[in-house]
Amino acid sequence: MRIALLTEGGYPYLRGESALWCDRLLRGLDGHEFAVHALSRSARQERAGWCELPANVTRVRTAPLWGPGEPAGETVRGLGHGLHGRRERRRFRECFSLLAEAVCTAQYGVRADALRGAGAAVGAVVTSQADRFAAGLYGLAELAAERDGLSAALRSEQAVRILQGACRAPGALRAAHAARVEDLLAVAERLERALRPLSLDWYGLRGGEAGLSASDLCHAVGAGPAALPGLLAHRAAGVPLLITEYGVRLRAHYLASAAGATGAVARGVAGAPVRALLGSFQRLLTQEAYARAHVITPGNAHDRTWQERCGADRARLRTVYPGMDPAPFDAVGERSADLPPRDGCRADGAPTLVWAGRIGPAKDVSTLLHAFARVRETLPAARLRIVETGGSDGRSRPAAAGGDGDDAYLPLCRALAARLFPADAGGACPVAFDAVGSRTVPTLADAYAAGDVVVLSSAVEGFPVSLVEAMFCGRATVSTEVGAVREVIGGTGLVVPPRDPRALAEACAALLGDRTRATRLGAAARARALELFTVRQNVETFRALYLEVLARHPAGARAADRAQAPDEDDVATPAHPFARPAESHLPGRWAGATRRGAGTAPAGPEGGRSAGTTGRAGRRTTTRVPAGGATHTPSWAGQDRPADGLSARNRPADGLPARNAPPWRAAPERAAVGAEPEEATTP
Amino acid sequence: MNTHPAPADQGSGSSADPVRVLLRRHSTLCERAVDPLEIAAGLEAGGVTDRTVASCRHRDVFSLAEELYARAPRREDDAQDRTPVAPSASGLGARTETGSGHPGGGADPTLPARGPVPARLLSGAAALGLPLLPGLLCAGTLAWLVLLESAPPALRAVVCAVGAGAVLGSGVASVRALPATPRAAGMRPRPFPVLPFLCVCWLAGYALYGDWLLRQLLGGGPEFPGSAPAPPPPGVPLGLTLALAPAVWCARWFAHAARRKLAGCRSLEEFSARVRPALALALLAFAVSCPALLWGAHTLADGAYAGGERVDVPAGPAFAATAAVLLLLFAALLLGAHGFRQAARAGLLTACALEAAVLLSVPVARLPWLQALSRPVEALVAHQGTASVPLAACGCAALVLLAYASITLPRASAHHREAAPA
Repeated sequence: MRIALLTEGGYPYLRGESALWCDRLLRGLDGHEFAVHALSRSARQERAGWCELPANVTRVRTAPLWGPGEPAGETVRGLGHGLHGRRERRRFRECFSLLAEAVCTAQYGVRADALRGAGAAVGAVVTSQADRFAAGLYGLAELAAERDGLSAALRSEQAVRILQGACRAPGALRAAHAARVEDLLAVAERLERALRPLSLDWYGLRGGEAGLSASDLCHAVGAGPAALPGLLAHRAAGVPLLITEYGVRLRAHYLASAAGATGAVARGVAGAPVRALLGSFQRLLTQEAYARAHVITPGNAHDRTWQERCGADRARLRTVYPGMDPAPFDAVGERSADLPPRDGCRADGAPTLVWAGRIGPAKDVSTLLHAFARVRETLPAARLRIVETGGSDGRSRPAAAGGDGDDAYLPLCRALAARLFPADAGGACPVAFDAVGSRTVPTLADAYAAGDVVVLSSAVEGFPVSLVEAMFCGRATVSTEVGAVREVIGGTGLVVPPRDPRALAEACAALLGDRTRATRLGAAARARALELFTVRQNVETFRALYLEVLARHPAGARAADRAQAPDEDDVATPAHPFARPAESHLPGRWAGATRRGAGTAPAGPEGGRSAGTTGRAGRRTTTRVPAGGATHTPSWAGQDRPADGLSARNRPADGLPARNAPPWRAAPERAAVGAEPEEATTP
Repeated sequence: MNTHPAPADQGSGSSADPVRVLLRRHSTLCERAVDPLEIAAGLEAGGVTDRTVASCRHRDVFSLAEELYARAPRREDDAQDRTPVAPSASGLGARTETGSGHPGGGADPTLPARGPVPARLLSGAAALGLPLLPGLLCAGTLAWLVLLESAPPALRAVVCAVGAGAVLGSGVASVRALPATPRAAGMRPRPFPVLPFLCVCWLAGYALYGDWLLRQLLGGGPEFPGSAPAPPPPGVPLGLTLALAPAVWCARWFAHAARRKLAGCRSLEEFSARVRPALALALLAFAVSCPALLWGAHTLADGAYAGGERVDVPAGPAFAATAAVLLLLFAALLLGAHGFRQAARAGLLTACALEAAVLLSVPVARLPWLQALSRPVEALVAHQGTASVPLAACGCAALVLLAYASITLPRASAHHREAAPA
């Protein structure tokens, strides 16, 4: 099938977020055709160039969300205004007013359960805010589809005036009331950038190639600006939308915003009104994306919490853990599983702790050093190896982990280690600092192999990559309870509170002193990691998700209906899982052959059903003809309206979420997320 | 699997309110936050875990963030301390400095860039000195021509061509360096505006040779290859190029002044009201400096060049025509620098078209049945002289452009950080 991968500051760019994951996904799903639609975030990113693209990427389209944008060209006539004609301007005014009102209104945060508890009043307010936002957004999109110049109109005096009116209106955000002209201009500029996807020619609405409308599925990486093209394609052509988030985009926005406020990052305009309005816009956009998406895949339970908080329907969330390549760790992992435990498994017999990662304040190595001092009181022979991994391994690190103090922190740690553990008479220090790639530690797997117990002492952590690596190596782990650690470890290691040297020391000493237990834990950890955190698992989950989404929400099926009654809310109709045959999603060159070979066979039973609705079928087929030359929807394909009734009416904001969620949701959910309790192996 | 019970002293035992402790620890975050979600994100990044949240008797970090958001003292004065407003105009310099000291000062639009001080001084000096370059080059060329008065005409032509090229190049450079607003790093430079450049060349060419050509045309000429174009009075090119400096300076000053006012204004109306005088001042400054420069150039160059033999003190219409050209170019420069490139282009094109139409109408009128075409031109030239043609064309276009500028430039949308594309 044809999948449109939507990224923002992501995949095809070398310095993109989640680029490694995207690359593995695309290479893993080589049966599908991918069209990458990327929004770039900065000139630096564009200059760094693209990754090497796999063969199943049929095309790549990019658009900048920075800089002055593409010149509007000669199509824009007139003097400084983008949209012409009184009607267009009135439409723009109405739509942008709706958008601005929604953005400036003070209601924040939608939580389904809170709304259920609170009376209908709050729910109504919030819903109307989201509705106004959606109405404004899609109104602008329709305008941009018909006429050029939305970009110029968003920078015009009219837009600034509308923003000012919305900021001064009663019920607006408190920070917005204080907005000055400078802030209004800054907000208008940023909105123009954020809304640039509306003006792109990716949707096949203005002639030309069909673009996103012709794809079977939009897979957006991140719910913010990346999902905007997907939303529009869904609106225009009914293309189903799948959102994957490894690290919630909205959270990253707020972090950047907070950093801007405290002066940590001198980038952009950091005034409170600007931050408030942009945060509000991003939140509303994210809410809209969550509400329209057919499936949302958070990377861990923490992301999931944020998504639920922002209005994602619990029934549509599937946790898909990021996958890692276990191959480099296989040798070490296999060896570690050799039971029975030996008495002195190290050559020198000293029980060894290993810490691996990129040293920074967030990793809290100092707590580890203090804890190790306590370990030495119990086990005087214990040793600690601190192995620094290079930052060049392409991992996507959580935004919070990197900091300014990274470079200064390593010398501090070394000094602390030298103070706590003065070298003994033989010159041997119990704490050794190494770096991956050095003579003693050629590879990362060697680092883990050198230890009996791997310890993670982070104070802040997203998805703990080094923990998963240790699990692949079959090492027992002691980690702090931060980020996604608890769900990753799931009972195959010890978890202690962060910043608590005593607890960390006790846990480490317990495992170092009991090798049998450590070995059993390690074996369980390796089994768990191989089941949950491999690239293969990740890719296969997405393969299944694609098929499932497609079976439930055939792309383009609702385009004709929508064109008739765009405001009509869809009703939750029962799904017909195989309404469209699988071969209708094959790429054109294969579909032709398949249909020639076996095309007539299934037409029998379905033919009668489509006879009554030939009109609709004909219309739909014609809408898809310009898509790629070949018609991918046979006219006998099922007629029934698909089940994306979930998408609009069923939003959590309405107060009745998930009530008519289909039963098919339950099983995969348990398989993916509920794994922890059953998997937990008690040593 | 926890091997350790939760530390007993974390929530229950201590008498201190754990939320207050958190509030104190994350005071900056909580005071500056504009949204509870921002506090939630910041708390998580700061190492607040579920355990901490539970010790504060909250269900999740979001409800904790909401309580912190509600309890934190808001910085109502955030907008004020961002730009300490000195209502009087005398506080401009001080405001700029305090703005740069503030955490958000990196975005202070009144500063071109944040670099080392010498580099900034250098770039400022270059930006100020660059507009003087065309005038100096032109003066140099004229001086060489005076020195080479007895040289072969080919050499003089070469000097002329080289000088014209240098003047044009430096003029383009100084005008393109004009947008004083900071640009995003690595932004692609704008494409070279070919059409406006050609228009400016045509207008300058007409100012130099147009009168002669029109006289020739009306007199039945021009006879090729008999009549070499009469050299224009050297004061005209000198005045044209010298006037570039005040034009660029005035436009720069106006952009800066508007930017500064942008930070202090509460409403769009207030902003317009405060920018209008600045615009008027800029226009007035140029309108005063331009005739002064022209007069100076004429007395200097024409006196020296003619050696007293042909003192062609600029007559009224010729003088006014040059001034009108300059005014038109200044209006186009102002509009173009603030994103109204289409308006600027339209104004320039109109003036060029009018002049070209006048020139064309004379030979076309020699065709039978079309004599009437040249009548108005002949009448105009007979009564007001040849210089009245550029005066009328450029003056009308300049007035229209200035009227348009007086409406659009006081608007806030004309002062976006980056001028609008195309």
